[in-house]
Amino acid sequence: MQDTKHGYDRRTFLKLAGATAAIAACGGGVATTSPTPSGAAGTATATAAGTRAAAGTLNIYSALNESTNNQFFAAFNKVYPDVKVQVLPLAAAGELQTRITAEKASPKADIFIGGSSEFHDPLGKQGLLEQYVSPNAKDIDAKFKDPNGYWVGWYTGIFGFISNNDRLSKELGNKKPATWDDLLDPAWKGKLVFPDPVKTGGGYIFMATQIFRFNKDEGKAMTYMKSLHANIAQYVPTSPGALSLIDQGQFVGCPNWAHDILTEKGKGNPVDLSVPADTGFEVGGISIIKGAKNLDAAKALVDWSLTKDAGDLNVKLSNRGSTRADVAPAPGSPKLAEVKLVNYDRAWATDNKDRLLKLWQQTVGL
Amino acid sequence: MRSLQREPGVLLALLAVIALVLAFIVYPQVKVLLTPGGTYVDFFVNGNWKNSTLHSLEVMALSTTTAVALGFVFAYAMVYTDMHWKPFFRIIGILPLLSPPFVVAASYVILFGPRGLITYNVFGQTVSVFGLGGIWGVQTIAFFPFAYQLIADVLSRSDARLEQAARNLGGGTWSVFRTVTLPLSRPGLGAAILTTAIYVLEDFGNPALIGGTFTVLPTQAYGLISGFADLQGAAAVSSILLVLALVLYFAKIRLDGPRSFVTVTGRASSMPRPPVPPVVSWACFAACLALATVIIVVYGAILVSALTVAFPQNQTFTIANFQYITSGPNGVALQNTLVYGLAAAAFSTVFALIAGWLVQRGTWPGRRALDLLLILPAAVPGLFFGIGYALSFNEPWLDWLDRGVLITISMIFWNIPVGYQAAVSGLRQIDRSMDEAATSLGASSLRGLRDVLLPMLGGSMQVGFVTTFVRAVTTLSVVIFLFTPSSTVATIRIFQLVNDLNWGAATAFTVADIGLAIVVLGVIALVARGRVSLGGARA
Repeated sequence: MQDTKHGYDRRTFLKLAGATAAIAACGGGVATTSPTPSGAAGTATATAAGTRAAAGTLNIYSALNESTNNQFFAAFNKVYPDVKVQVLPLAAAGELQTRITAEKASPKADIFIGGSSEFHDPLGKQGLLEQYVSPNAKDIDAKFKDPNGYWVGWYTGIFGFISNNDRLSKELGNKKPATWDDLLDPAWKGKLVFPDPVKTGGGYIFMATQIFRFNKDEGKAMTYMKSLHANIAQYVPTSPGALSLIDQGQFVGCPNWAHDILTEKGKGNPVDLSVPADTGFEVGGISIIKGAKNLDAAKALVDWSLTKDAGDLNVKLSNRGSTRADVAPAPGSPKLAEVKLVNYDRAWATDNKDRLLKLWQQTVGL
Repeated sequence: MRSLQREPGVLLALLAVIALVLAFIVYPQVKVLLTPGGTYVDFFVNGNWKNSTLHSLEVMALSTTTAVALGFVFAYAMVYTDMHWKPFFRIIGILPLLSPPFVVAASYVILFGPRGLITYNVFGQTVSVFGLGGIWGVQTIAFFPFAYQLIADVLSRSDARLEQAARNLGGGTWSVFRTVTLPLSRPGLGAAILTTAIYVLEDFGNPALIGGTFTVLPTQAYGLISGFADLQGAAAVSSILLVLALVLYFAKIRLDGPRSFVTVTGRASSMPRPPVPPVVSWACFAACLALATVIIVVYGAILVSALTVAFPQNQTFTIANFQYITSGPNGVALQNTLVYGLAAAAFSTVFALIAGWLVQRGTWPGRRALDLLLILPAAVPGLFFGIGYALSFNEPWLDWLDRGVLITISMIFWNIPVGYQAAVSGLRQIDRSMDEAATSLGASSLRGLRDVLLPMLGGSMQVGFVTTFVRAVTTLSVVIFLFTPSSTVATIRIFQLVNDLNWGAATAFTVADIGLAIVVLGVIALVARGRVSLGGARA
C-alpha cells in the first residue's frame, strides 16, 4: 500500500515537473532500448509523455518460467526505475486466463504476460483486455499481432520432439521422427507421452498443427490423432511435466516445446531435440488487462517487451525466439525461418479451439 | 440442550454458524453455478460425463476399501496393542497427509515408473505406476491417515469394561474383537468410510499425474476450466460429485441406524484394556512396518532429491537447493503458509466443535441440512472451491480485505468436514447424561459444552486441527486463484518450481514445508503436554 502511495507521489511530482522530466525520461528510455527508427519519432514522443514517464506499482500476471521472470523484470526496472514491479508468477497460462475472467469485477493485475496468444485472444473478445497498439509494434510482423490491438506477440516457440538418447538408440534404432507421421509406427507403442491438448497450450497447438497439415481436413487429422493415441502411454497435465518423464527415461519421446527441450539438454540431461517437418509454433503474448490501475506503466512494459533488448534477453533466458526479425535465435535452436512450418491459421485455431478439443475428446474417447 | 428460546447464547451460536455456512460454503458454489455463458445442461446431454463418473466410482470403491482397512489396522495397532515404535508410527500416520501437490506423486513415478529406481533398477520390472492400479495404490497410502485418525479417536474412547466383561464371559480375542470392538468402532468406521470415500472422489492430484489415460471427474473438471474456461461445465462435474457425496451421506445414516454408541457415561472407568496376544501385536507391528517402509522410501526420495544436483540423473550432494529456497520471496511464502495454516486450523477446530455440538445435541428442525452442508465441502474439488471464492469475494467493496484472510477462510471451510465428523462421532460416544448433569445443576448448555464435553473431546478436536492444518499447508488448488504476490504460499512456489523443472528446489521446498508442519505439530503436542499427540490416537 505504502509503495503505491509513494509511487503516486513521484508520479505527481513528474507531472508537476512537466515536459522537461518527461522528455528526460523519454531520452533515457530511447537510449537504452535503442533501435527506434527516427521515422516514428513523432508518434513515439507523442505517446512518450504518457508511457515513458511511468511510475507507481505495476501488477503483473506472468506465465513465464520462474527462471525468466526475475531477470526479465529486473531489466525492465533498469529502464523504468520508478516503476515498482509486483509479479504474480504462475507458469500456467490457462489458470491465469481463468483468474482474469473470475476477477473481472475488480481486476487485480495490470498486465498479462506470457502464454501463447490462444490464452490472450479470448480475453480480448470477452472485453476483458485494454486495446493498445504500442509504437514499437510496427517492428513486429502482422502475423504476430492481434488486428484488434488487444494483445501483441513478443516471442515465438516452435514445437519439436524430445527423445531420451539411451532408450531411443536401444529401442528404436536411434531413429528420430522426421515427420509427425513417423510417430504412428507401432515401434513407439507405449513409449510416447504427450501434453494433454485440453490442459496445455502446447498440446492444442500440436493438434491444430495436424489439422493444418491435412489442409484443414478435420477428419484426416482426427484419424491421425486417434492412431497416435494408440501409441501414447500417458497424457501429461503440464508440458514441462512431460519433459521430466523423458529426462528420467520413464518414456522414450514426447512432442514438446523446442526451447524447453534445449534448456533440458543444456542442463546435461540425456535427451535430444528434433524438429519434425510441418510443425507448428506459438506466439507468446502480452496484453493489458481492462481496468488496469496503472495504465502508463502497463504500456511501458508492453513497449519495452517489444524492444530488441528485451527480445535478446528473453532469448538468452528461455531459448525462445523473438517476433522481431533483428533478434538472433539461441545457439542450437531451430530458426523459425528455417524449419518447415505448417501454414498455421492462428485466428481460426483460436476461434475453433473449444469445438476442436471436444471433437478430439470424442475421437479418442477421453 | 434446552429449547433455543430459553438459551439466547445457543440461538446466537446457531445463527452465527448458519450464517457462516451460507456465506462461505453455499454462496460461492451458487455463484459458480450461476456464471453465465456456460454449458451446464449441454454437459449432461452430450454424455461425456458417463466414463469419468464410472471411473470415479471404480476408484472410490477400490481406494476407500483399502484405505479404510489399512487405517483400521493401523488404528487398532496404535490403540490396542503394545507394539514397539509407536511414536515413530504416529508420524508415519500423518506423513501421507503432508503431500504437497505434484512432488509426492512425481516421487512415486521416479521410484515405481516404467524406469523406476525400484521397479526397474532393483527388480528389473517395467510394470508401471500409471493407470488405475497406480491411482489405487497411491490413494490408499494418501488417504489411510483420514481413516486411521477418525477410527483411532473413537477406539481410544471406547470403554475397556465392555471388552473386559466379554473376556470374563469367556470370549476369545477374535470373538471379542468381532462382537464388541468392531461394533463399538462403528461411528468412527462410518465417519472414516464416508470421509475417505468423499476425499477419494474429490482427489485431483494423483489421478492427474499418474492416471495415464484414466479420466476421473475432478480431472475432467480441471480440463473444462483450464482448456475451455467453462466454469458451468466444471460446475456440472461438481454437481455429480455432490450427488455422489449425498448418496454416501445417506448410506452412512442408514448404516449407523438409530443405535446408541455411547461408551462414555457418568460412571468412572479406569480399567485397562484386556491384553492383546503377542502374536497379534507382532502381526500389527509387521503390517505397520511394511506400510512405513513404503512411505519412508517415497518421502526419503524427496529428501535425497532436495540434497542432490538433479535427482535421479545426477546424484551429487549439494545444499544449493536449500540456499535457493531461503532467498527472495520464498521465506515469505513459508511464513504465510505457517500463519494461514495455524489460523485456519484453530478456527476450523472451534467452528467444527460448536457446529458438531449444535447438530448432535440439538433438537431444532433443519439440523440434518446443516449436517449435510458441513460434509459437502469435502466433495468440492479444491480448484472449484477457490474459483467460487474468487468469483464471490473479488468485489470492489471487499478490496480492503487482506487476501491472506480470504485464503485462511477458504482453508477453514474447505477443510471443515473432517473436524466436524470427528466432533460428531466423539459426541455420539458421550452419554447425554454427562452434560445434562451440568445443565440440571443450573449451568447453561454452552457452559456444559465448555466445562464438561470439551475436556473429553480433546482427541476429536485434535483430529480436526491436525487435518485442517496439514491440508491447509499442502493445498494448491484452493489457493491458486486467490493468492497475491504478498500472500503467496509454499505450494504455489513448489508448483512454480516443478513447472520450471527445478526438481531440486521443488523438493527442497517440499522438505521445508513438511518439516515446518512436523515441527509445528510437535510443538503443539509438547505444549499440550502429551494430551494432544501427533496422528490422533492417545494410545
